[in-house]
Amino acid sequence: MAWKFDKPLHSMSDAEQNKKACDVWEGESLGGIAENNNRVPRAVIWLMVMTIVTAFAVTNPLWGQRPTASLYVDYVKLMDSPQVQAIATDKGKMEYIVNNAKSSDSRTLGLQDRHPLTMDDLHVIKDQIIELENKGVDLEEYTIIGPYVQLANFEGEPKADGTPSRKQPFWDKGYTIDIFYVAYFCIAMLIVIKRLPDYSWKPDHSVAH
Amino acid sequence: MFKYLFAKNEDIPPGTAAVYFGFSSILWFVIGTGLGSFNAAKLAFPDFVTGSELFSFGHMRQVHVLAVIFGWISMAFAMAMMYITPALGNTKLWSEKLGVWNCFLWNIGLSTGLTLLWFGVTSGREYSDFPWFIDLYIASFIALPMAINVWMTILTRRTQGIYTTNWFFGAGVFMIAIVFIVGNSPEWFNLTGLSEAYLTWWFAHNVLGLWITPIAAAIAYYTVPKVTGNPLYSHRIGHLHFWSVVVFYSTPAAHHLMSAPLPEWLKSFASVEGVLILVPAIAFVSNLLLTMQGKWHMFVENVEIKFTITGVLMAIPLNMQGGFQQTRAINWYVHGTGWIVAHAHLALLGFSTFLEAAAVYYGLQTILRRKLFSLALANFHFWFLLIGFSIYWVSMTIAGLIQGAGKIYEVPYIDVVIAEHPYMIARWVGGTMVFTGNIVWLYNMYMTAKAGTEIPEGRLPHELAYER
Amino acid sequence: MAFREYKIGARLFGVALGGSMVITLYFPTVNMTSVAVTEIGLKKQLSYGRISGFSYEDPFLRGEGKPKTVMLDTDPKTGAQIDPIEAYVYEAGVPFPSGINHPRTLGPGVTQLSVDKGMIGEANKGAGAVFVVSRGTSQGETVTYIENASATRGWQPSDVLTTAGDANTKLVGSGKIMFVREGCWWCHTLLPEQTQDWQYFGIPPRLGDFNGESPTAFGSDRKAPDLLHVGSRNSSKEWMMMHFFNPRLVQPHSIMPRYDYLWGEKDASGKSIDFAAWRTAYTEYQKGKTVYPPEVPDYAADSEIRYLIDFVLSLK
Repeated sequence: MAWKFDKPLHSMSDAEQNKKACDVWEGESLGGIAENNNRVPRAVIWLMVMTIVTAFAVTNPLWGQRPTASLYVDYVKLMDSPQVQAIATDKGKMEYIVNNAKSSDSRTLGLQDRHPLTMDDLHVIKDQIIELENKGVDLEEYTIIGPYVQLANFEGEPKADGTPSRKQPFWDKGYTIDIFYVAYFCIAMLIVIKRLPDYSWKPDHSVAH
Repeated sequence: MFKYLFAKNEDIPPGTAAVYFGFSSILWFVIGTGLGSFNAAKLAFPDFVTGSELFSFGHMRQVHVLAVIFGWISMAFAMAMMYITPALGNTKLWSEKLGVWNCFLWNIGLSTGLTLLWFGVTSGREYSDFPWFIDLYIASFIALPMAINVWMTILTRRTQGIYTTNWFFGAGVFMIAIVFIVGNSPEWFNLTGLSEAYLTWWFAHNVLGLWITPIAAAIAYYTVPKVTGNPLYSHRIGHLHFWSVVVFYSTPAAHHLMSAPLPEWLKSFASVEGVLILVPAIAFVSNLLLTMQGKWHMFVENVEIKFTITGVLMAIPLNMQGGFQQTRAINWYVHGTGWIVAHAHLALLGFSTFLEAAAVYYGLQTILRRKLFSLALANFHFWFLLIGFSIYWVSMTIAGLIQGAGKIYEVPYIDVVIAEHPYMIARWVGGTMVFTGNIVWLYNMYMTAKAGTEIPEGRLPHELAYER
Repeated sequence: MAFREYKIGARLFGVALGGSMVITLYFPTVNMTSVAVTEIGLKKQLSYGRISGFSYEDPFLRGEGKPKTVMLDTDPKTGAQIDPIEAYVYEAGVPFPSGINHPRTLGPGVTQLSVDKGMIGEANKGAGAVFVVSRGTSQGETVTYIENASATRGWQPSDVLTTAGDANTKLVGSGKIMFVREGCWWCHTLLPEQTQDWQYFGIPPRLGDFNGESPTAFGSDRKAPDLLHVGSRNSSKEWMMMHFFNPRLVQPHSIMPRYDYLWGEKDASGKSIDFAAWRTAYTEYQKGKTVYPPEVPDYAADSEIRYLIDFVLSLK
């Protein structure tokens, strides 16, 4: 392969190879069909790059996730506080808790917004959350399913001690494989396309047709 | 058909296999869409033909699905391969006799398999429902003879070059053989559990990705330049399309099981790859639409181009849906709902059917050397297919969004069923229109073979479409 | 690759397809085969038997050659009272599930316990066997394993069935065959999805819940409620009977087909079921001419509907 340092993307074939390719190209009719040597349009290249970027961007965040036990830890802590006890109605209590246990993390806040609870729900899961906290486990791995707080999430990457994580991953081996896979594809495609005669050459279809 | 089974290969007129495949595929299309319309009626009116085992929905659904995939779509592909592959190599089909036998064994095997399925003899795996001995039959008597014929025709071509369509054909028959054998291996080796579930969907995904999508696209690569007379816009985009199909379409199988406890990394991987199927789609659509330059009037005037370009245009919404609906961000809302049913029909009844129908229309006319019996009936077919499909797609998409909303707002399921009911009726109306259009098509093609005006030597059918 | 160099192209094609198959088939298989089966997974494979689709023992999917699931509260050998236990009875000739034939598929820990303590290697298809699920310790963790009760406790299939009686015998394995044959899974999924679906249909299945099950019949096109935990939501046999005979009896808006044909020809008392008369009476009821719908006939002990109801109620 003859790499031209001054024009790296012009054509990676030498003049002789290009001549041969052009002769074959113009010299025969494939069932009456001819092919042009137009470039891959800029718009197509741009769309492809956008697609690759979007593919990684859009698959990463995990919207639609079940509420994890960690979302409600602060709610549970606030439940027995004198301020909450002083409020008469359950609705009022809940309102106070939601307003005063706001997470500083916007993602958690969004999840709390999307998974609102009533005071009754909170009573049902309270003891389970406290028990899990005392056990010292990672509450993000536990999910609220109806009245239960359970390890229900899919099995993710292994943790340091070898047990599988139950948290939805932000980044895992799958994305890493993807990066290499896409990179190999792009390199191979570049070589395949740039080994053809440069797109400035227009085949003359009158030779064979 | 039977008279050529035992004839000498030289005595069989060229194109015979393609004609048999063509008419078989149309017949299967009529059967398949008829079953679809019948099933839709059962969903809309649950007491329609009720209380009978053979006509219950659970016995009929898979017969509809496999009749259209293995009967209509795959046989139309075989038809296209039997006449396009030799035409592009300036040669004859390697063995016309093998082609005729292939078609004969295909019809026998498929009828047997579907009858068994109808009676409930199933492996219980979606898309690979056939019990393992039928799978074995399909691999050895359907897929393999077709592959041999296509490869040998390409190898014995009389050109130095191989045109893009034939790359796809040659690779496609190889990939479907591999996918079929690996995908059905759980039944032969009694693999169980998650591996079995994953292989089921690996098969289902790759049948679409490595067989139906690329072969349908390959047909368009032939039809558009051939009928318009324009050269293919770009050989380079052809490369981009071919290689990205092989690389990106073969990998996202796990995105069908985003809710199953598969390894999480596999879902991440599949999800990214799933968006990347937009790469071959962009390449395909751009290449063909650019090839149409200067010939857009044929989109209106010419029936083959009308079908083909409609199919190509449908690839745009198809791949936008397909690419994004499988990401975690969207999948949780639409998975398992009518949205996916609409998407599947957009792929099979929209995109690929329109491309194949064009190939069958064009092929039968060229091989039989007879002009289409009635252009008016062909247009009727086109519009009934398009409108029927559109009604189906719109109604099922809406039904799917209702189901998705019902799912996340924890609506009692029966309320979702009630809300969906009008759309179930619309789906039945759309499906019945498609069925009606296909009966007309069968009649039209039968009359073309019997009573179509002969095409003089050296002319092509589309050139004299409007001549008397 | 320059213009029309097909040898290079063919090799590149091989590399591309091979690479994709290594990532999508080999890598996940390494992960999936290293999973230890859970208690749910053990119970499922023991009650469903070897395969729930087309098989040699049951080519027409009639529910033949399947194990029976029984509840025992007496030891069939000694007659002593025991804590209620679920036993899976494989009569002579009934093929064993994947975990007995290939203990390796049970996963680390479980395999060893099942072979060493459970003596599953001694199970003999010709003689039949009874299995139970037991608890043991492997590397400091409690795991469940398969115990071959025929070898460890001397329970014989026929004794177990006699002791339990027909009322405590559930034909779950044959019922899964009905579930597959009748295409229940075309509309009812067995896979609660991510998000709020779990609140409604219960906990999703976990990694080890499927070892040995085939097919898993997840379903992909949901037109009806998920059934993975239906037995916990509704355990009424009578409701199921009415619902299967004619779903509109209990749910006027249901679009489920009627499964009255699964009753067969005779009812529980051996009388012929007159379906035509039933339908006429039902039409009268629909038109408002009668106040009550006709009674749904009791099903016979060997009817297909019994299999199906036993299976559906086993989905806890």
